[in-house]
Amino acid sequence: MIAFTVIGGYLGAGKTTLVNHLLRHNQESRLALLINDFGDINIDGDLIESEDDNQINLTNGCVCCTLSDGFFAAIEQLQALEPLPDHIVVEASGVADVAQLSQYGNMPGLALNGVVILADAETVQNKAKDKYVAQTVQRQLAAADLLILNKVDLISAERRSALELWLASISDAQIICADRAQVPVEIVLGVYARSLRPSGHGHERYATWSATTGPITSAQAQAFAQALDAIDLLRAKGLIPLSEGGVLELHKVGKRLSTQVHPDQYRDQGDVVAIDLDQKLVVNVLDEVASEYLRP
Amino acid sequence: MNPTNPEGSHVAVRDGMILGVGALKDLIGWGEYELDESFADHVIVPGFVEAHAHVMAGGMMLLPYVGFFDRRRADGSIAKGVKSYAELQEILRTEEAKLEDPEEPLVANGFDPIYFPDQPRLSRHDLDRVSSTRPIYVHHASGHLATVNSAMLDVSGVTNNTTIEGIGKDHHGELDGELREPAAMASCKIGYRVVQLNNAKEQALWDFGSLACQAGITTCTDLAGSAILAPRVLDMWLRVTSDERFPMRVVQYNIPAMPGAQAAFDEVAEQFVVLRQQETDKLRFPGVKFILDGSIQGFSALINPPSYYKGEDHGQLLTVPDQFADWLRPFHRAGLNVHMHCNGNKTQDLAIDTVEKIVREDPWLDHRHTITHAQLTTQSQLRRMARIGLCANFFANHIWYWGDQHYDITVGPERANGLEPCASALREGVPFSIHSDAGVTPLGSLHTMWCAVNRLTPSGRVLGETEKISAYEALRSVTISAAYQMHMDDEIGSLEPGKRADFAILEEDPLGVDPMTIRDIGVWGTVLGGVKYPAPR
Repeated sequence: MIAFTVIGGYLGAGKTTLVNHLLRHNQESRLALLINDFGDINIDGDLIESEDDNQINLTNGCVCCTLSDGFFAAIEQLQALEPLPDHIVVEASGVADVAQLSQYGNMPGLALNGVVILADAETVQNKAKDKYVAQTVQRQLAAADLLILNKVDLISAERRSALELWLASISDAQIICADRAQVPVEIVLGVYARSLRPSGHGHERYATWSATTGPITSAQAQAFAQALDAIDLLRAKGLIPLSEGGVLELHKVGKRLSTQVHPDQYRDQGDVVAIDLDQKLVVNVLDEVASEYLRP
Repeated sequence: MNPTNPEGSHVAVRDGMILGVGALKDLIGWGEYELDESFADHVIVPGFVEAHAHVMAGGMMLLPYVGFFDRRRADGSIAKGVKSYAELQEILRTEEAKLEDPEEPLVANGFDPIYFPDQPRLSRHDLDRVSSTRPIYVHHASGHLATVNSAMLDVSGVTNNTTIEGIGKDHHGELDGELREPAAMASCKIGYRVVQLNNAKEQALWDFGSLACQAGITTCTDLAGSAILAPRVLDMWLRVTSDERFPMRVVQYNIPAMPGAQAAFDEVAEQFVVLRQQETDKLRFPGVKFILDGSIQGFSALINPPSYYKGEDHGQLLTVPDQFADWLRPFHRAGLNVHMHCNGNKTQDLAIDTVEKIVREDPWLDHRHTITHAQLTTQSQLRRMARIGLCANFFANHIWYWGDQHYDITVGPERANGLEPCASALREGVPFSIHSDAGVTPLGSLHTMWCAVNRLTPSGRVLGETEKISAYEALRSVTISAAYQMHMDDEIGSLEPGKRADFAILEEDPLGVDPMTIRDIGVWGTVLGGVKYPAPR
């Protein structure tokens, strides 16, 4: 299974900045980036292992592909790579219908991880009223699992609060603030590390919570997933061994929870990691849910 | 189509060039001649110029056809339309028996559920009756849907638990075999891939050429064809079109980037200028195409208020408005002609605003940039277009193929009556052509003319009596006016001294027959550069 994430947002929202940021700071997974144009991407020359017209291979195992032959061709190309990438990240065009694009993430062999939408704090509200792009922008915001309100360093604190309220009225996504799209890679791509390496990214401080578990029944594991789903969180990831055999993998990105059973995998110890803004992380609620269902 | 010499009994041709049109006595002064009377009982008109088609749509013709209407094949025979699921199954069974490799998917094209309103939706169970083991993929005419059988779902790993939006399920939550929109369609990739790749086959060009010949078309605009800048693709086009057996000229308008995506357009414009050095008599690259929105019947065109009549507005912008001037400017500066796909009149405002802006900056007055489809063009838009030199290329075939749907559902009676406003364009002085958008609707300039002249729908409505044009104006719009939009009106589109000897050879005079029968006129074939190309039959 290859995880699948869509990064969207209107022109100037910071998509390319975020993609460059992911390329630079991702260390734990083999990323495959689908982008419109190589011209936008800053890759250090010594990071490039090889390149051709529509694919660049990096020394850290990541690849970048362009969408020049269309989306389907690009996905097929990535699914044929050896070894397979861990995660496909699509940089959608500024006017893309991201909801529709995200559906590719449910294709056999892929696992939709989430839709991350960037909004330019200075312009998003005007663009949402613009004659030509109003619908496009509103639809993008509504499709988000995770909303990054970017460039907040350019607006006042009052304006920022008003914007957050306004965004919450058109989208039920989790909202985080950033400048220059500097958000932890773990937030965008899912939690791979037990603890966040850098804390205090730009405007936000993040905190993590984790728990370990031995094998539990699959009914218990599903009940745990549902309980976790009810909790307001930016991100969560879990690998839970099942007493019937196999492992349950779960991902939560904002409002989206997905679970998947791998019947042929085995582990005697698993863990669950959650991440949120420092001031929002509900440690006691998480502890409570964990003690009810998990078996450390 | 030459106003100073509108008709004649003879045409004199030398080396593929017209010397003159008139009575024999007025032409013999050109010297020794050979009188060819094979078209004495026919009517010769300028070879038709299809103003908007997709030549690679010929690729779909390679697949077994299961559409509702009878359709011409490249060999001149008629593929019968399927009027029932039993007929559909019969065709699929016949095609299935032809396949040797048991794992090869059977892919058919052209089915349209809109013509089976009283039947339950076509499902995997209907297709399972054709084969329970061979994967079957039926691609719908709209291009947005497919129906597959159980074997196809199995081999693709699609199950009741697959959560792609657009994977059809019945009320028990069981897969019904219908796949809506690309993500769902692509989940059955061995079928979807055939549909995609068929577009890239060389045979597709040959088949399209044959269909054009059957329709009297000698020049076809390929709007948004394949990636012509790729050397391998360019070689194929040059090879096929240069073959003397290939019966038409192709005018390529490529899209310079994926719809909605940005590219280094300065560089792309330079590449197109360089590309023009490779032009031949039969393959031209005068400009590029941009796609600004979706379609009206798909509710994805951007329409100004009061927006859609019934149904939800899914307006899909395929260009970034704030950047559009920057995208267009390099092509305009390089002297490249730009055709802009706008089905809705909101994106058409964007196109007009943008062209006005770049024309102020760089006053190329004879740009002939064109808004293609332009279906809902308003009167004020026509007035602006006339002032800034924009042309319109109307999708006249829509009146017949979707006119009733536009009247009843998409835009409502009043705006449906104003669709493809040819008469208004004529009155306001906007140069216009009309088109088929083949393979969206079948290739056939006489049918397209018939639509603009009669404005009739399948239910018998006349959509907008006041927007009808005469047969003469309709003939202009499929010949000289289409050539004008590509800066080729000095070369093709009328029968004048010095122009190419490109003719459509018709059984009757489209300006003389009852206008209701224009689409029924027989086509003998074409003459291209003085060479006869009889239509295959």
